This record gives sequence, structure tokens and C-alpha cells, in this order.
Amino acid sequence: MTAPSPTRSDIIAVSGLRFAYGDILAIDGIDLVLPPGRIGLVGANGAGKTTLLKILLGVLPAASGSVTVLGHPLEHGVLEVRSRVGWMPEGECLPPDQTAADFLGYAAELGGLPPRAARQRASDVLGLVGLHEERFRYVGEFSTGMKQRAKLAQAIVHDPELVLLDEPTAGLDPEGREEMLQLITRLEGFGINSVTSSHVLTDIERTCEWVVMLDGGKVLRSGPLSDLSTSDEAELEVVGDASAVAAALLRLGASVRHHGASMVISYAKGDAFDVARDAVVATGAAIRRLGPRRTTLEDVFLGEEDAGG
Amino acid sequence: MAEGVVFDLGYRPHEGERLGRAGARRALYRDGLRRVLGLRRKTRRKVFPFLLTGIAILPALFFVGLSVIAGEFDQAATLFDHPQYFDLTGSMALIFIALAAGELLIPDRVNGTYQVYASRPLTTVDYLVGRGAALATVVIGFLWLPHLVLFFGRAWVSSQGFGSYVSSEFEVLFTTLLGSFAYFLGYAPLAFAVASVSRRASLAAGVFLGVVTISGPVSAQLVDSGFSSMGLFALQQHPGYVKDWILGSSTHHWIPERAGYEPVFSVIVIVTLAIACWLVVLFRQRRIT
Repeated sequence: MTAPSPTRSDIIAVSGLRFAYGDILAIDGIDLVLPPGRIGLVGANGAGKTTLLKILLGVLPAASGSVTVLGHPLEHGVLEVRSRVGWMPEGECLPPDQTAADFLGYAAELGGLPPRAARQRASDVLGLVGLHEERFRYVGEFSTGMKQRAKLAQAIVHDPELVLLDEPTAGLDPEGREEMLQLITRLEGFGINSVTSSHVLTDIERTCEWVVMLDGGKVLRSGPLSDLSTSDEAELEVVGDASAVAAALLRLGASVRHHGASMVISYAKGDAFDVARDAVVATGAAIRRLGPRRTTLEDVFLGEEDAGG
Repeated sequence: MAEGVVFDLGYRPHEGERLGRAGARRALYRDGLRRVLGLRRKTRRKVFPFLLTGIAILPALFFVGLSVIAGEFDQAATLFDHPQYFDLTGSMALIFIALAAGELLIPDRVNGTYQVYASRPLTTVDYLVGRGAALATVVIGFLWLPHLVLFFGRAWVSSQGFGSYVSSEFEVLFTTLLGSFAYFLGYAPLAFAVASVSRRASLAAGVFLGVVTISGPVSAQLVDSGFSSMGLFALQQHPGYVKDWILGSSTHHWIPERAGYEPVFSVIVIVTLAIACWLVVLFRQRRIT
């Protein structure tokens, strides 16, 4: 897969990146160019998502290849990048013996903010993530959902331009998951670009506009979610004899995947909607529903995996 | 009744100054001070540091108070000059350092807070310097404060007058400060090294105190049996021996002295041990960078 050339506005550009844990190749020569906005990083466990995020943060050194984050090449030093990037790790990162306000203030100061501004930011950001009432409670007394929100808060408290979120919905109940996804979606409105790693495809579908699919340390696909989720195929549901409609479609040269009264139509020679109309007219069946087929991220991911063997 | 209006200010980006790496280092130092003293932590975290500080400073306050009442500082009656005072506070500093070193390094590692440091403009050296400077400030302050009380208390009741006493004895302030630093450098690096390989602060403190305390009698036995070079392994004794050298006193017959070593050898042992421990800690904490 050849990545497009990076432009000045791209937030991440990776070229020929490789990384191995001993003999195990975790990142296998990937090329990526990611635009500003909400980026999703999907893949099964062990696909290389967390490793890629840690390389982007400069925590893990790339074995080969180049990485540019926010226009700054990592080989020129990671500290410049780190002052402009936030990181929400998957595991624990909060000290239980400090209050949320104290720790957030400290985290903001570590990001380079003056003490007074840091305290103010800590209060503001805890309000944004819904922890304003709990800001003077010790973190050790927080529930899992509150801890996840506090982790997101520490990642954005120093007002970064980009935040890297590693499995942000891990361990959350449905309500907590919903709140976290809403928070992630709001980040772009704050002027913060995000890269969200998850193995839950529906989370990525709901929060991201650009998707990178990783598998075995390689990029399967990278592109706008809208390009991945729409296709030239039509989805038709009829009232009446669906088998006759399917047979008519085949006679007209279309390909049909047929399940009961519903069928997915693809037509290489032209518009799938035209051939569906002709088949319905020819058989006298009534249309219950006709529209473009919406593919889910799961369809694309499984399709790419199958194609890759 | 006035109507209340709630304004949702939303997200406000930080548009002010950014202090970068220097600001991050200062934040680490301040956090280290708070952590060692238990500030902004639960009350039980404050008890030990403030109790030790109170115990350390109490004799100085007592003798100064007594002298104020008596009108003169009677050194013969108090038996407590600056070198002897170090013998009291030096042992307390050992316990203080044992507990504080673990508190500074271990929770960050166990709680995963490293991951926050790793996403900030900091290096491992910044982290360790910030933590070490915080411990140095508190320990040297802890050791030096009683000497300041004693010094200015004496000056207050001195028959020479306050100003004359201060100007004639001013050197004591520097020598006691240097002595305090010798205790810090003699104990803290080893305590940090032990803390860097342990997951429990209490265990690290126990191991550190055990090693340092046992090193004295074991070395003494070996020195008395003819292995004089083992006098350099009396870890607890080096800071005191160096302190006596700095203050020009002789409060004990130190084990390295019994083994025939000049104080400069104790300085070499302290510095060598500090460098070795620094390398161990640097290796163990490398994940921040």
C-alpha cells in the first residue's frame, strides 16, 4: 500500500516504520499519512495499535523508518512533540492518594503550564469531563468510569494539539461507554485532534472520521470512514417472490447475494439501481425498500482480513 | 430576588505562557517536596515527617529556652554542641531518607504514573534530579534547621552580643550545612537505588535500613579480625566521620578511622557509592524516556 505524500496540515506522517519486541515484529514497515480530525485505529489485540501509539509519542524508538508528528520529525527530539501531545494509556496511570484536582494541576504543570494556569485548567477540564463535583475526592475512591474520565482529563489538561487515546472505553459499562464516546467526539470542537485506538469497531464508527485498520503490524486500509462505509452496491427488499427477482437480476448480468426477501445487488456494467428497477418491472414484484448498501467497519475489516489470507 | 444565570464557558484553550521543560522540572521538584512531607495527602502521611522534624528540633529549642531563662548558654551543662547534635539527627535522617526515597519513586512506578511522565516534555534525568533535589531540600533542611536554632539561640543569649557572636562564629553555619550535605549524599543514593528495584516502600525502607545498620557491626568485627580494608564498608559511619572532619571535632572513634583510613577515603567511598547508585537508578527508571 502506498501512502499519499504528506502535506503541511497532516498531523501524522509515518514512512517505512518498523518495530520489533525481540524476535516478534510488531510494526512491519508501515506508511501512513493522517489528516487533522478524529482518527480511529482499529485492529485485533496484538495488531500493533498500542505499539504504534507509543512510537508516535516517542516512548518506543522506531527500528527503522521516519515519524513526523504535528510537523515535527521525532528523530529531531521527542520533547517538542510531547509538549503538544496528550496520552491516555489503556492501563492505570492515576495516583490513588491524590485528589483529582491536585493530580490534574500537577499533570498540567508537567505539560509546561504555569502553576496558577494549571490549577485553573485542572478545574475547567474536570468540569468538561463531568468530574467537577468530585474534583476534591481522592482518585483511589473513583469508580472505573470516573477513572477513565480522569485519565482523559489528564491527557487534555495541558491543552495539546493532538491526543492519543488507547482503548478509552475499556472496562466501561454501556452508560460510561456512551459518555466517553461523546467526550471523544467533542474533542475536535476544542481544537484537539485525536487518534483513538480500539478493537471495538462500533466505537470507531461512532467517533471517527478517518479509519486506519491494522493487522499483524501492517496497515490493511487507511481512509475516510465515509469511503469505507459506502459502496456501489444496492440493497433491495421486495414484497412477493424474491427468488424470481433474483433470477431476473442474474439474467440482466448483475451479481446478487440473496437472503429471504432481501438482496444485495452489484452491477459491474452500470448502475445497480437501474438493474434493480428493471428486474422488479420484469417480475411484477413490489419494492419494500431500495437503497445504497451501507457497509459496516466490521464488513470492511473482515473483508480485508480475508483478502490478506 | 435576582435571577441567576448559568453560563457554559465551554472549552477554553490555554493562550498564556508555556514554561516547557523547565516548568515541568519545577513541577516535579514541588511535587517531590509535597510527597516527602505528606502535604496534600491524607493526614497519616503527614505524621511521620513532621514528628521526626519535631523530635529533631526539640532539643535545640529546649536548650535555647533554658539558656534564655538562665541568661547564658552553658555548653558544659547541655553537652550538646553542633557535632553531637548531628549524632542525634543523623540517625533520624537515616530513617527519614529510608521512608522518603521509597515514597518518591515507588508509587509512580506501581500506579503507572510513569505513563503520564512519558507523555510530558521530561527525560529520566529530569525526573530523577527533580526527585533527588526535593529529598535533598527536605533532608538537608531537616538536619540543618536544629543547628540554625542552636546557633541563633546562642547568639541571642551570648555575652558578646548577638552581632559579635554571629560575625565571629559565622563559619559554623557553612560547616553544619556541609555536614548535612554529607549525610544526605552518604545515605540517599543507596536508598534511591533500593527503592528503584522494589515495589513496596516499606520493604525498600527495611532493606535499606538493614543493610546500612548491619554494615557497621560487621565491618567492625572484620576490622578487629585484621581485615582493615573492610572498614570502608561501614556505610553508616562514613557521613559521621566526614562530618567530624568538616567540623574539626572527634565525637567517636569511627570504624574507618580504626581501620586506618583518613576521612578523605570516606569521601571517596560516599562519592563512588553515589555514582554507582545513580547509574542503577537511571537504568531502572529509563522507561520515562
